[in-house]
Amino acid sequence: MRNLRAFRPLGLVLALMLIAAACGSDEADPTTTTAAPVTTTTAAPTTTTEAVMDDDGMEETTTTTAATTTTAAPTTTTEAPMMMVSDECAISAPDSAVTINMIGWTFDIMEFYADELEKCNGENVEVNTQLLQYQDARDQMLLDLTSGGTSAYEIVHGANGEISEFGSQGLVVRLNDLVEKYWDEYNLGDISQTAWDGATFDGGIYGVPVVSNTQHLMYRPDLYEKYGLSVPASYDDVINSCNVMRDEASIDLPFVMNLHAGSAWDVWFLHFFRGFGGGNYLNPDNTPAVNSPEGVAAVAKIKEVIDACMGAQGLTYDYNAVQLGLQTGGVASSTLWASRAAAMDNPDESDFVGGIEFAVAPSPMPGGPAGASAWNDFLMIPASADVDPEIIFQIIMEAVDAESQLGAAEVGIPTRDSAANAGVGGRYLPAAAESVANGIGIFAPNPAVRLMRNALGNQLPLVGTGEKTPEQALSDAVDEYLVEARAQEFVS
Amino acid sequence: MQRKTFYGFSAPSLVMMGALMAFPLLMSIWLGMNFMTFRNIQTPEFIWFRNFGEVLTDTQFWQSMRFTLIYMVVTIPIQLGLGFGIALLLDQVTRLRGLFMAALLLPFVVVPVVGAMLFRSMFDPSGIITWFFRDILDQRFFFTEGSIKAVIIIHALWYITPFVVVVLFAGLQSLPSDQIEAAEVDGAKWYQSIRYVVIPHLRSLFLFISLMLIMDAYRVFDSVFVLTGNNPIFKADTVQVYNFEVGLQVQRLGKANAMAVLTVIGVLIVLIPFLIMTYRNQIADRE
Repeated sequence: MRNLRAFRPLGLVLALMLIAAACGSDEADPTTTTAAPVTTTTAAPTTTTEAVMDDDGMEETTTTTAATTTTAAPTTTTEAPMMMVSDECAISAPDSAVTINMIGWTFDIMEFYADELEKCNGENVEVNTQLLQYQDARDQMLLDLTSGGTSAYEIVHGANGEISEFGSQGLVVRLNDLVEKYWDEYNLGDISQTAWDGATFDGGIYGVPVVSNTQHLMYRPDLYEKYGLSVPASYDDVINSCNVMRDEASIDLPFVMNLHAGSAWDVWFLHFFRGFGGGNYLNPDNTPAVNSPEGVAAVAKIKEVIDACMGAQGLTYDYNAVQLGLQTGGVASSTLWASRAAAMDNPDESDFVGGIEFAVAPSPMPGGPAGASAWNDFLMIPASADVDPEIIFQIIMEAVDAESQLGAAEVGIPTRDSAANAGVGGRYLPAAAESVANGIGIFAPNPAVRLMRNALGNQLPLVGTGEKTPEQALSDAVDEYLVEARAQEFVS
Repeated sequence: MQRKTFYGFSAPSLVMMGALMAFPLLMSIWLGMNFMTFRNIQTPEFIWFRNFGEVLTDTQFWQSMRFTLIYMVVTIPIQLGLGFGIALLLDQVTRLRGLFMAALLLPFVVVPVVGAMLFRSMFDPSGIITWFFRDILDQRFFFTEGSIKAVIIIHALWYITPFVVVVLFAGLQSLPSDQIEAAEVDGAKWYQSIRYVVIPHLRSLFLFISLMLIMDAYRVFDSVFVLTGNNPIFKADTVQVYNFEVGLQVQRLGKANAMAVLTVIGVLIVLIPFLIMTYRNQIADRE
């Protein structure tokens, strides 16, 4: 018993923590506002003030805002009173209460949009958003969408792969009619055609494009000047600069492209494959098209870059490590996601604020397209959601209207041309825009391509370590793909 | 105890075990006999034991099984030895024992995936281990197939050993001091006391801990997933990590279930000798 006394303070602390947790949860104050008199159904411009993010931990970021109660003032016209959801969400309030649950994965601009969605908390509408790590969010939404019954979510986040994967199975709502109906009201022509193309599978629009992303060069100009090097326009130039900077003592690596996992290899293979003149991964009958001279040249060039610039050490750099390497000066240059460029000028993170320059992504083949692809993120509506898709669509549109996207441009690349070209946002935007314009385009939407990407992700990393030749790795990837594609009846 | 009373007392736990263990296992066996992906999840195709055959002929499955067994064979003896040693030392401590115990338990208290992420951060380019290699040893540290496997094993020792310490330390508290004193009077050295008095006293606990560690080693996932970042160059997939890949990346849900069932059978095969020993121990204790 004497020994147990030592644990009493611990027990007391635990008890206090439990009490604090019980008292501290779900504490959001209900806000009461009075709406201005409303006489028409025309959407009013929303106010977009950047909200504070709730970051609940390393695993996931969950943001939940309490409903805002809106009391409409009596109308003074003879028209029927039209109740709006809230001041910042100028859509007609639904007749009965609806709950809109959104799930997605976390990064700066999505957190911004999550806050915008929550501004539609109001009359008869409750919006909850949940942003997790990518794999967690994807697994959860995949299980939810496919397991039958009513979906737990009314809005799901997706990237290019999810458009074809979910759209081909009818798991998300085809939005063509709604897009057409609200085209003028929400000025949807302002969203770039490339983004709409990315949202389209087999003629159906399955998502609202909200984020653009690409990869471009980030480099330390002081080192390039020191060695008399020009900004690399091709990967041959990159290899040359690596050879020149090999003995530079102030850096760990002269150039890194993120190859820390199979999925990362797949992205770079796409760039190089298309850069060398390859097309889609799969032929129209879903037979593989990657084991070709273009495919072999692509993998061989990636291997050349690894050997000259990265070595075994560089193969273990994930996105965070590359970003940190640039911010602390350990990495002289990299082709990295544009969504990470703003962090280079963040004084809280970077030792090189203003000291990292941005340029168009180098070309895998001199004179060929830039080694960068256009990616988008979308908001989609599950087909099994039990809320009217039109209400959900309007709430999405309110969150990604022109004013919202102007705010979003501060933390990422929006999809509306008006926001992207407004001069708002980071120094990297011209390089990102040029990389998209001169890049290799978008990923071909095809539900079977997921299996090919998975197989490439399993085999290509073994080229990096020298265990397989490009020919062997591609041949093995094709074999691995065919086993699964036949089993899943993509290939006869 | 009357047979009726015995059944009355044991029925609730049997019902609970049936609901929480037998039913999911039977469900997994049935799902493993279906061809099922997320595309046909509502209309799976019954294919008897084809998935089981596919798993048994899958080279990646056997590669993951090999690393799982290496992990088990390397970590469990070290965890047992290290845990026993620390428990013996802790037993000798008379002051601030609670503080030492609390410090030892910290790794066990941390959420596994968070612990793995913290561990991983030490090896990041800005991490303390990388700094130590670079600034003190003037070398570069980076993960290779060998070093990442070593780190996974070190993480397992850091995370699991406190459990061994706590259980064995509790066992040491129940050791009658007169037995040790009698051994000393008989001229036994300290290591002889441990060999002939302490270890026999803790035998049933060693068996219990071994059972738990084997099951833990078989289902290791968090640390491997976080530390390797799913990078195939490390060849460090365990059975559970590969099961996850088959289920959620390749989306072969039926095959993943078949693999889970085969894994349970594998665990049972490994555990059978330990279960028999535990049973014999209990019988011997009663006699």
